[in-house]
Amino acid sequence: MSESEMSLSMHHGAELEESPFGIQSKKLVMWLFIIADAATFGAILFGYGYLRAGSPNWSRPFAFMPTILNGMVMTAILLTSSLTMLFAVAAAQAGRRETSVRWLGLTTLLGIIFAALHLREWFKMFAEGWSTSANPLGGSVLFGGSFFSITGLHLLHVTAGVVALAVIAIGFRRGRFDAAHVETTGLYWHFVDLVWMFVFPLVYLMNAR
Amino acid sequence: MTTMESSHGPGTRLYVAVWIGLLAIVGVEVALTYAGLAPGLLLMALLALAVLEAGLGLMFFMHLKYERRILFWSLIPALIFVLLMMNHLWRDASRMIQLHL
Repeated sequence: MSESEMSLSMHHGAELEESPFGIQSKKLVMWLFIIADAATFGAILFGYGYLRAGSPNWSRPFAFMPTILNGMVMTAILLTSSLTMLFAVAAAQAGRRETSVRWLGLTTLLGIIFAALHLREWFKMFAEGWSTSANPLGGSVLFGGSFFSITGLHLLHVTAGVVALAVIAIGFRRGRFDAAHVETTGLYWHFVDLVWMFVFPLVYLMNAR
Repeated sequence: MTTMESSHGPGTRLYVAVWIGLLAIVGVEVALTYAGLAPGLLLMALLALAVLEAGLGLMFFMHLKYERRILFWSLIPALIFVLLMMNHLWRDASRMIQLHL
C-alpha cells in the first residue's frame, strides 16, 4: 500500500470498506485486462486452428535449424525475463529501489532481444517470399496470414511491455511510482510470457518439418 | 502488513525452480515434436504441456496461488468457459475441408 493510500485509510478508515479481493484496484484492473486479453489470444488461436483444420494444403515450413532453434532461444529469453521481473518486484517490495531498477533494466533488455530475434525471423521469411497473402511453398496462403497475425499481436504486446517497463523503471527510480506499480507491470509481463507458451507449440512446433 | 497487501509467498529458490521447470517443459515439447507422434496426439500433448506451463506461471510467477481464493474463482472459470465455448466452430472447419474451399 502506498503512503497516500495508507494516509487515506487512516483518515477515512471507518468509511472505506476493504476490497473483497484483498488487492489494490490497479492490480485488479490489470487482472481484468489480462483475462480479456487472454480471451482475445484464445480467439485468434482458435481462428488459426479453424483455418488449419479447414485447409487441406497447409504448409509446415519450419526446419529445426534455424527456425525451431531460434524459437527455443526466444522462449528461453522470455522465460528468463519473467524471472528477472520477479526479482525486480521482490526488490521493489523490499525497498531496494536501485536493485529493482537494475532488474527492471535487465528485463527490458531481454524483451528488446526477444523482439529483435522475432523481427530478424520475420525479415528472413519476407526475403523467402512469405507474406500475409503469399506462400512460396505453394500451399495455403492462409498460413502467412495466421502466422504473421498471431506473432504480430504477440510482438505488439512485447513492444508495449518493453515501453511500459522502461517508463516504470524511470518513474520508480525518480520516486514517482511505488512497488505496487512495479508489481502490476510485472503481472502484464508474465502474461505476455504465458501467451508465448501457447504460441510457440501451436504456431511453431505444430508447423515443424 | 496491511490488509490490502497480498502475501508474496515464494522466494528466490522457488522462482528459480519453476523457471527451470518451465524451460524443461519447453525441451520436452521440442522432443515430442520430433518423436514421430500422430498430429492429433502431438497437438493434445503440446496443449496439455502449454496448460501446465500457464498454470505454473499463473500460480507462482503471477502469485495467484498467494492471493485470496475469490480472485482465482472470479477470473479463471470465466476464461475457461469462454475458451470452451469457442470449441463450437470445429464442425464448421470440417465442413470447409469437405467443400474443398
